[in-house]
Amino acid sequence: MSTRVPREKAVFVEALEIADPEQRSQFLDQACGADSALREQVEKLLALSQSAGDFFKDCAPALEPEAADAEQILSAAESALEPEIPKTKCIGPYKLLQKLGEGGYGVVYMAEQEQPIRRRVALKIIKQGMDTKNVIARFEAERQALALMDHPNIARVLDAGATETGRPYFVMELVYGVKITDYCDQNRVSMRERLELFMQVCNAVQHAHQKGIIHRDLKPSNIMVTMHDGVPAPKVIDFGIAKATEQRLTDKTLFTSYAQLMGTPSYMSPEQMELSGLNLDTRSDIYSLGVLLYELLTGRTPFDTTDLLKLGVEELRRTVCERDPLSPSAKLQTLNNEELTKTAKGRHIEAPRLVSQLHGDLDWIALKCLEKDRTRRYATANGLAEDIERYLHEEAVLARPPSRIYRLHKLVRRNRVTFVFGAATVAALLLGSITSTWLLIKEREALRQAETARAKEAQLRREAESREKVTRAALLTSRENYQEADRLLGEIPLEKPSIEMETVLRRLGEWHVVNGRWREAGERFGALDEVNRRLNNLDVTTMDFLRLGPALIESGDLSGYERFRHDVIARFAKTDSLFASRILKSSLLLPANQEFMQDLQRQGEVVEKNVGAMDRGGHAAVAYEGGWDSLALALLEYRRGNYAKATNWCHHCLGYPLSLPHRDSTAQLILALCYWRTNQNSEALAAWNTGWQKIQDRFQRGIVQGNNAEGFWFDWIIARILSRECQELSAQAGHR
Amino acid sequence: MPETAEITQVLQAIGRSEEGAAEKLLPLVYAELRRLAAARMAHEMAGQTLQPTALVHEAWLRLVKDGDRTWQNRAHFFGAAAEAMRRILIERARHKSRLKHGGGQSRLNIEDLELAETTPDDKVLLVDEALARLKVEDPELERIVVLKFFGGLSNEEIAETLELAPRTLDRQWAYARAWLFRYIGEQK
Repeated sequence: MSTRVPREKAVFVEALEIADPEQRSQFLDQACGADSALREQVEKLLALSQSAGDFFKDCAPALEPEAADAEQILSAAESALEPEIPKTKCIGPYKLLQKLGEGGYGVVYMAEQEQPIRRRVALKIIKQGMDTKNVIARFEAERQALALMDHPNIARVLDAGATETGRPYFVMELVYGVKITDYCDQNRVSMRERLELFMQVCNAVQHAHQKGIIHRDLKPSNIMVTMHDGVPAPKVIDFGIAKATEQRLTDKTLFTSYAQLMGTPSYMSPEQMELSGLNLDTRSDIYSLGVLLYELLTGRTPFDTTDLLKLGVEELRRTVCERDPLSPSAKLQTLNNEELTKTAKGRHIEAPRLVSQLHGDLDWIALKCLEKDRTRRYATANGLAEDIERYLHEEAVLARPPSRIYRLHKLVRRNRVTFVFGAATVAALLLGSITSTWLLIKEREALRQAETARAKEAQLRREAESREKVTRAALLTSRENYQEADRLLGEIPLEKPSIEMETVLRRLGEWHVVNGRWREAGERFGALDEVNRRLNNLDVTTMDFLRLGPALIESGDLSGYERFRHDVIARFAKTDSLFASRILKSSLLLPANQEFMQDLQRQGEVVEKNVGAMDRGGHAAVAYEGGWDSLALALLEYRRGNYAKATNWCHHCLGYPLSLPHRDSTAQLILALCYWRTNQNSEALAAWNTGWQKIQDRFQRGIVQGNNAEGFWFDWIIARILSRECQELSAQAGHR
Repeated sequence: MPETAEITQVLQAIGRSEEGAAEKLLPLVYAELRRLAAARMAHEMAGQTLQPTALVHEAWLRLVKDGDRTWQNRAHFFGAAAEAMRRILIERARHKSRLKHGGGQSRLNIEDLELAETTPDDKVLLVDEALARLKVEDPELERIVVLKFFGGLSNEEIAETLELAPRTLDRQWAYARAWLFRYIGEQK
């Protein structure tokens, strides 16, 4: 029957056009010839066509409202729509809607999330046989960093969890698109457009690298091209998933699970082939990007995937780790004519031009990514993208050490018109010497440009590297690997401060503090102050004064403390801020001269006004803020020599309903200081003792970071500094 | 309505004809149609009917109110919408048929079927069954019938959707319905 339809249809539609029965019959004689079965069927169809027309007259049968069962019918229809969804239609808070794909790793579904926002997501269920708990733990470790990623070309990873049957799953932004290689081939995308797409991928990867995320599994099926307002845009998916599902590459797992999980070994860098599998960094992704570039250019991977899989484990490893891949242009020349023509056609270019276009810059760029030694690859994805951009602008690329001839060649291409004109003139005039002089000048110009470009690249690379280091340091500190983070940070210039850097410096400073290394702590907090200065967040900056000031004093760097507090006054003496009390406290830890005290006049007034306003307001926060402000005023008045006022402020501070051990002891110590100054020695001793006891208790456990309620380390160090002052006064009192 | 933006986005994403595009769109369009149908059924008076044509067109208008209006997208949309309507109609017909015949689905046949008396529900089931066979014989004809019979699209719209000359479409449709009618008649 199936072979009958095309002929039957052809004959039928022609015959139907013929209204006259006799002519129609003649036509059928002719058309069917001896095929009587065909004739019979066509005649039957023609006979039925009137009734058929009636039967189908009312197309699209109407839906009658039957309120009672409408909902039921619709739900039934809905479930008929989803034949592929497993019995459990919900996984966690996600409702499965439709299967999107399947692979060695597991299955991907389109799912709907109801809370906290209603949206559609992609849900990837990892196949059985993975250690769910570890997978999720690894994901959790990276979750914070993943959350920092925000790039239009990166699909966000939103969540991870375990299904009821204990399989790990990941929830990702839903991306509709095609594999980048398929997209390019299906649409016969030109070389330039391929390179432009690739650069977007590089920029996305760079963004992730800056957040400290390595993809580890970049390959075409993880890079989808979607249409955005009619413009193709790549989206990198699965960030963080390779890391979470990482399995150690052993001989046993290589082919059973790893190859399945990771898909193709073609995209794996030599260091990923190493058995340890631990020593990965962003440059592994650069390698994979190189393979992608190679494939976009030539339609092939540097090493053939099927060939690789045929090799034994050792052989495979040796190939990837030792054999130099052919350059893209050389690879094309190994193809037979038909393949080459097909490859070229898919790129809208003639075969010879494709080879010559790859030859040179693009060869070098691809090979630089594929270097076995990762230090010889591009240091950053940005660097790679920029080199391609240079290629597209016909500027000198960095992938090859520039030689004179090479640069001249570039220059000629960029200024082709000038050169043709120049060459003609030169030929006509036969002035060889002038030509060479002129070429020399031009060459120098080219050299200068190439060098400027190189310098810029170097600077960008430095910047990118330090950003990367900061990010890595941030991750390290979040995992409490302070030593490594501290070492990393030592190498970074403070050129471009970032909030990340601020956090890292603070954490490292505190790490030194709790280990009693005051000098190092002072250095880190000093650098932190530099960063704060540029980020200009007053709250953070003044809070960090309370770290830097005490650290300098404890490290014995008293001149450093003097410089610090004069700097604070220079910066803030004329500013009214909510944080004036912190400025007072941090700069009055040691006695100060009259001039200095006068510079603090304004801050004192501001704080006093704050306390007055708060006390009148009777707000709940008063007990907290008002107490601290009173304490700062007590210290100020004490330094001014107004002991009565200082005593009053201490009592005011202690009078608030909220009692904080660190604040109360500091108030006691200031009281003690005032008593000594006014020769009330026994009261002084009692107050000092009260304060001192609490300090002792606190430091019994060594220095701990602390919190708001128990006091931070610096609250207690401030108390300790004042207690030392008590000690001096008590000694003086003893002498009297 | 968040879905609107999403469907438009999907339509744009699959702007270039991509294998399986209609399938990806289906659940989204289905949700929209289902929502519309349910809302209408709840509010309309008993006895009044809902025309799938109206539903599909209304869904389309809502979706493109401020979105893309290219025919390419519209084609994908109508394909998905007609398929979604088909499933809605089939389920409804089966449900009613079960109620009527006390369970087991009864096969209808053309012998005891006076055309004038065929209920719309019977028709839906007969056509759906015949379509499964037609799809094997000639998938393009099947698409035409789905758009026409279940989507309620006009010949002009289908021609545009499938990028066929209107005349070609008319002839294909004439053959398809004759073929289906013959098939239904043969299934005794």
